[in-house]
Amino acid sequence: ITLCVSSFAGESAVPPNLLLPTNLVDPSRHRRPAPPPDTALPILRSCDTSLPAHLSPVRTWVQTLMNPSDEPLGLTELHPDVFAVPPRLDILHQVEIWQKNFKRISHAKTKVRSEVRGGGRKPWRQKGSGRARHGSIRSPLWRGGGVSHGPRGPTSYYYMLPMKVRVMGLKVALSSKLAQDYLHIVDSLDIPTPDPQYLTELIKQKHWGQSVLIVDVGEEFPENILKATEELKTVNIIPAMGLNVHSMLKHESLILTLETVRFLEEKLLWHDIRFSPLYPFKLPYSDI
Amino acid sequence: MSVSVCLRCSGLRGAVWSALRLRPPAPGSPCAAAGLRLFSAPAPGETRPSIEESTAEYKFVERLIPPSKVRHGAGKVSTGWVPPSPSPPDLPYMIRRSRMHNIPVYTDVTHGNRLITIVRKVEGDIWALEKDVKAFLKDVTGKDLPTQVNEVTMTLKVKGHFDRELKEWLLNKGF
Repeated sequence: ITLCVSSFAGESAVPPNLLLPTNLVDPSRHRRPAPPPDTALPILRSCDTSLPAHLSPVRTWVQTLMNPSDEPLGLTELHPDVFAVPPRLDILHQVEIWQKNFKRISHAKTKVRSEVRGGGRKPWRQKGSGRARHGSIRSPLWRGGGVSHGPRGPTSYYYMLPMKVRVMGLKVALSSKLAQDYLHIVDSLDIPTPDPQYLTELIKQKHWGQSVLIVDVGEEFPENILKATEELKTVNIIPAMGLNVHSMLKHESLILTLETVRFLEEKLLWHDIRFSPLYPFKLPYSDI
Repeated sequence: MSVSVCLRCSGLRGAVWSALRLRPPAPGSPCAAAGLRLFSAPAPGETRPSIEESTAEYKFVERLIPPSKVRHGAGKVSTGWVPPSPSPPDLPYMIRRSRMHNIPVYTDVTHGNRLITIVRKVEGDIWALEKDVKAFLKDVTGKDLPTQVNEVTMTLKVKGHFDRELKEWLLNKGF
């Protein structure tokens, strides 16, 4: 006896006026399984730095943006200390809240009883008038008086999390994206046309999600992809130096090129083996 | 002496120079025809060496700039440092070395009398590590020591100062 009958049996079973919530997991999203160990596809990139003996690299597919067809070009090996880090949600939260708040300057300011216009004179004599005793008409007790404990002037909420915590936040975000199948690796960002429609169709076909963040290393991007992403609100392109936890959480899926992966691994793994700074790292060291 | 003092005044200097006509002689002027030249200018047949910029001495400064990365641990050292075994031990957990290649066991003292030993950088089954640590410390001290496992940060805390014993034990295991 079948107790539960699936209403998603076919397209005809779905009523036309059905309103699905936007955060519902799309049942038609085809999850590509992780690459099996015996694939015929070549490994296009292996890890540059030596891995610890007890860890093995994570393997993912490498796709193209040129053909909308679904077949991957090859495999990449990703460093487990960047892309397979334990999911520290508390660090992710810390970094996200820091990113939101450290730029904040609240300009709220209220006038204190000394700043409100007037109120220097004693309104009536101390004794004998029958009314309560007051010293000025702008004390916080009075209507129109100053605020006693209000916001005072521009306040800054600036603070810096330790560098290693911010780096760990990036690693946790990348690992989470990979673990949830929202990370896709592409060989390069070449597109046949600068048409934004092409990109939206490609993303829909590949089931990459509602919003896409494209990351590339280098100061110059191919013109086609710049023009295509200019008009689109949900598809954004950033250089690798601009990668941050907030953008990664805001966009549903993340597209990295092979050079970006190499760059990120190099920069993020350096923090695991570096000394503490004798002088700021912006100044030259012998191996930076 | 007074003349030299006067010459140092910049206002007078220009007047003196132009009066003595100490600029290099123009090619068609009578001074050049007479064979007079400034001492600083080279003789007609003489070649003075041109200014050379050499970077040969930069190495003396470059060797003073410090490195930013910790070097890989050396093999045999007289300090008593033991390198980790090249193959990881066959246990359900793994304890990585710190960035200075040491065993990550640390001690802490709070309120003057609260002694705690912390084992950091644990990977894998931390509860198996806790069981082994409890058994080992039972052999060493004879007491059941309270321990705390933090699965989020993957650390193990033990009441008491046992850093020396735990470091030796982990070294013997091959971490």
